[in-house]
Amino acid sequence: MPTVVVMDVSLSMTRPVSIEGSEEYQRKHLAAHGLTMLFEHMATNYKLEFTALVVFSSLWELMVPFTRDYNTLQVVLVTDGCLGIGRGSLRHSLATQNQRSESNRFPLPFPFPSKLYIMCMANLEEYSRKLIDLAYTPFHAVLKCGHLTADVQVFPRPEPFVVDEEIDPIPKVINTEGDEVGTGITDDNEDENSANQIAGKIPNFCVLLHGSLKVEGMVAIVQLGPEWHGMLYSQADSKKKSNLMMSLFEPGPEPLPWLGKMAQLGPISDAKENPYGEDDNKSPFPLQPKNKRSYAQNVTVWIKPSGLQTDVQKILRNARKLPEKTQTFYKELNRLRKAALAFGFLDLLKGVADMLERECTLLPDTAHPDAAFQLSHAAQQLKLASTGTSEYAAYDQNITPLHTDFSGSSTERI
Amino acid sequence: MKIFSESHKTVFVVDHCPYMAESCRQHVEFDMLVKNRTQGIIPLAPISKSLWTCSVESSMEYCRIMYDIFPFKKLVNFIVSDSGAHVLNSWTQEDQNLQELMAALAAVGPPNPRADPECCSILHGLVAAVETLCKITEYQHEARTLLMENAERVGNRGRIICITNAKSDSHVRMLEDCVQETIHEHNKLAANSDHLMQIQKCELVLIHTYPVGEDSLVSDRSKKELSPVLTSEVHSVRAGRHLATKLNILVQQHFDLASTTITNIPMKEEQHANTSANYDVELLHHKDAHVDFLKSGDSHLGGGSREGPFKETITLKWCTPRTNNIELHYCTGAYRISPVDVNSRPSSCLTNFLLNGRSVLLEQPRKSGSKVISHMLSSHGGEIFLHVLSSSRSILEDPPSISEGCGGRVTDYRITDFGEFMRENRLTPFLDPRYKIDGSLEVPLERAKDQLEKHTRYWPMIISQTTIFNMQAVVPLASVIVKESLTEEDVLNCQKTIYNLVDMERKNDPLPISTVGTRGKGPKRDEQYRIMWNELETLVRAHINNSEKHQRVLECLMACRSKPPEEEERKKRGRKREDKEDKSEKAVKDYEQEKSWQDSERLKGILERGKEDLAEAEIIKDSPDSPEPPNKKPLVEMDETPQVEKSKGPVSLLSLWSNRINTANSRKHQEFAGRLNSVNNRAELYQHLKEENGMETPENGKASRQ
Repeated sequence: MPTVVVMDVSLSMTRPVSIEGSEEYQRKHLAAHGLTMLFEHMATNYKLEFTALVVFSSLWELMVPFTRDYNTLQVVLVTDGCLGIGRGSLRHSLATQNQRSESNRFPLPFPFPSKLYIMCMANLEEYSRKLIDLAYTPFHAVLKCGHLTADVQVFPRPEPFVVDEEIDPIPKVINTEGDEVGTGITDDNEDENSANQIAGKIPNFCVLLHGSLKVEGMVAIVQLGPEWHGMLYSQADSKKKSNLMMSLFEPGPEPLPWLGKMAQLGPISDAKENPYGEDDNKSPFPLQPKNKRSYAQNVTVWIKPSGLQTDVQKILRNARKLPEKTQTFYKELNRLRKAALAFGFLDLLKGVADMLERECTLLPDTAHPDAAFQLSHAAQQLKLASTGTSEYAAYDQNITPLHTDFSGSSTERI
Repeated sequence: MKIFSESHKTVFVVDHCPYMAESCRQHVEFDMLVKNRTQGIIPLAPISKSLWTCSVESSMEYCRIMYDIFPFKKLVNFIVSDSGAHVLNSWTQEDQNLQELMAALAAVGPPNPRADPECCSILHGLVAAVETLCKITEYQHEARTLLMENAERVGNRGRIICITNAKSDSHVRMLEDCVQETIHEHNKLAANSDHLMQIQKCELVLIHTYPVGEDSLVSDRSKKELSPVLTSEVHSVRAGRHLATKLNILVQQHFDLASTTITNIPMKEEQHANTSANYDVELLHHKDAHVDFLKSGDSHLGGGSREGPFKETITLKWCTPRTNNIELHYCTGAYRISPVDVNSRPSSCLTNFLLNGRSVLLEQPRKSGSKVISHMLSSHGGEIFLHVLSSSRSILEDPPSISEGCGGRVTDYRITDFGEFMRENRLTPFLDPRYKIDGSLEVPLERAKDQLEKHTRYWPMIISQTTIFNMQAVVPLASVIVKESLTEEDVLNCQKTIYNLVDMERKNDPLPISTVGTRGKGPKRDEQYRIMWNELETLVRAHINNSEKHQRVLECLMACRSKPPEEEERKKRGRKREDKEDKSEKAVKDYEQEKSWQDSERLKGILERGKEDLAEAEIIKDSPDSPEPPNKKPLVEMDETPQVEKSKGPVSLLSLWSNRINTANSRKHQEFAGRLNSVNNRAELYQHLKEENGMETPENGKASRQ
């Protein structure tokens, strides 16, 4: 998470601090010292963090925009101690958080995911150290793939996650105990450049994994704790520099619905035949959900008149192409019938029946005789359904095409 | 986030009393005549929906959006009230879909306008609603079972959405009092029951609906706490599309939804297929998909305040689809969507496009500056998701290259081999439960980890660390030995592989031993074979505990591999043939060039290494003449040095080590019967197999690798 350091540079910061037996310090000196400590820590242990520095008194000024160059950040300034009292003070504003009106534009809490640390001056060095421990300790872990392992540092630090504040109020943290499952913490005290030189030449599993993931275009699933997973992949930037990246899924048994339950993922060697196909042309994913979503199942919605009109038009269009379109005609007719019955919209059934009867009278002389039969049959069935009597208005019952035979001189016409 | 918040359980109570059969007095033209046929025909009179039809279709729309975006864990119970309560479905997940509800509603049918209004009341439904809220859902049950002694953490909250036609404000008050009292009573009952739960919180949403054009007899009232358990709000809404709009707003409020409008969708015109116009489609989704807009301070985009009007939508521009997966690297979330106007042509065109497997990138409309892609629409398994792509400055900006880190300067990783390893270890879903022999449930994921453990017991990471994995001839053995159990055929194949190697050794075939880091010609041929045999033994030994058949492979290997004394003899012979050797050494070089080894740079490779693990130590590439690398820590306890090669001038660390291993190994197994009975250290073994083997052309070395 990028850091914004906001420092108080108001006059109150020049007040002296009494430290026994030393020359006089002002509060701002203490603050500067504390922040220098913080920046130094980040420059060595938290190199990838972006930090910006803003100073304020009655106005504010962005001193240093987001940077990773901690030398530029190690400039002057300072934070304060006085929170103020009364209306508009920090204490008052936070306490009345829930009763805020539109006109009160106090910005806290921020409407986006964020953390706010407020350091008040006392012993700032101690506070800086606390803050470092709290927010800026590097995250060391061990990446394991069977017996292949590598010590890694994860940046940005994965933050604890609360899945459900009520059922499970304890935040989930990544397992750092180094069991066979996933990651573990190590005491990696090697540092300095000479060590880096040697380290570059020692084969490292991360580099192997990264290379193969990149070449194969694959991702690896990584387990971070019980019911917490993520994925590893090679990410390249525009300058063709690539690195191994880990994305965390939300903790839970089924973080990505199209993969199914994570615990149910097993080795392909256990399957009867390779689900990826002999030529790598298949995939067992994505899993299909049991129920289709509304946009995939042709639901009927008549809230806007246009929805209803479109459905009626479809029937009409097919009605004019009878008997070729008999199947679609009845399909659309039954779809409308079902929805009308569910919505208790029986007047519509009657209306459409009238319409079909009119169509029957409008048939041109060249029309196939079957068209007239099907139209009057459909109209009659709709009229029956519109009475709402259970015999004709059963939801699961469909209107079926009238069985006609025009093949010969059959006398069995209806 | 809370799983068991008010939105876990929603009860719809829809009035089915005679007055609901009344017309909403909003007409629908359904007989739209096509132009060229209109002459002389009067269109059929428009029809209008009843209050009941409006209520039902609006509530179905509420459910449709909810099910689209939350297919699980958000449940609806539908109740219809007239002279009694008709509960149309249950809390079970199977009952949670539109088809079930539609079928049940069709069975109920429209209200009967001729029924006795005195017998009918919405109260029956409200009482049933409270009753049903006390019933435990399968999710609540599961959570309670899982939490054991903390079962009380599982909350029981719910929402009652009641659509009715009330007489007056005091009528509304009466309904509220009734719900309040019923909750009180049922909570008492639930307290003494195992399968019921007390209601902790109930949100009553009373919607009074009336025909368009009439005056409302009931006034709106925002949410008010009637008791610690019950809050209530009253909405007075005209029927028809007004009611539908109200429920659309409510579903967004209740489930934290937000709206995105995709604009500029190019679509072919229905009438003129060769022209295309641009269309807009509005989608609903969880509001977290807009969180980045809040962050970047674009509050005009962010939909304003939380309680603000829900009419607001964020507009994003369609970008012509590309098939670049790079964008997904910046994906920070995927949210299910539901189109607001699901059946409109633009909506279904967009959704079908996505369901067919294509993706659409969405761009923030900006007056100036560069194009910012902030979202992507794509489907997975028949479900469409709005993917959030990080568009602001990324913390991942300017990341270091992996080549700058640990192991970054090693250039001969077995990249292709590990790719093959990954493909063999791919995952697939096992949906049916499997059981172990002891009857316990087998977790497929644990099986996968188990397999990873087996497959990595001996897996050198770099080409110069291994000989056997660079030899095609070893593949038949190496690919099966990692298995949990072997078939007789597998064992036979392993044995054949070993005999094949013996054969190669006898014929003095060259081996792909790495010459990296060595000066001069590298190890002598017989030493190369010793390195190879040692490595092969390490591999097989790593698996001997898998099964008795693995054991048999090792036995075969131990019996066949060249033995130090014999080697000594051959070494002497070998020195006499040094000229010959030189020639074949050249052959090795040529052969090495032919091979497409993964990394041509590997020769630049490793000059010194700080640490060397055991596997590596066994196959150190140093020849007896090469100087000791400066950083090397001695891994061998010198006092255990075997006496064998004492007199042979400079002894390499390798020979010391391999001899030590050999001595140690020889103690671990029974001496092979053949060797005990051998004459001059020679014994004819497995004669029949050897004959068989002799028929085949032995493969020497690894011919080609992908």
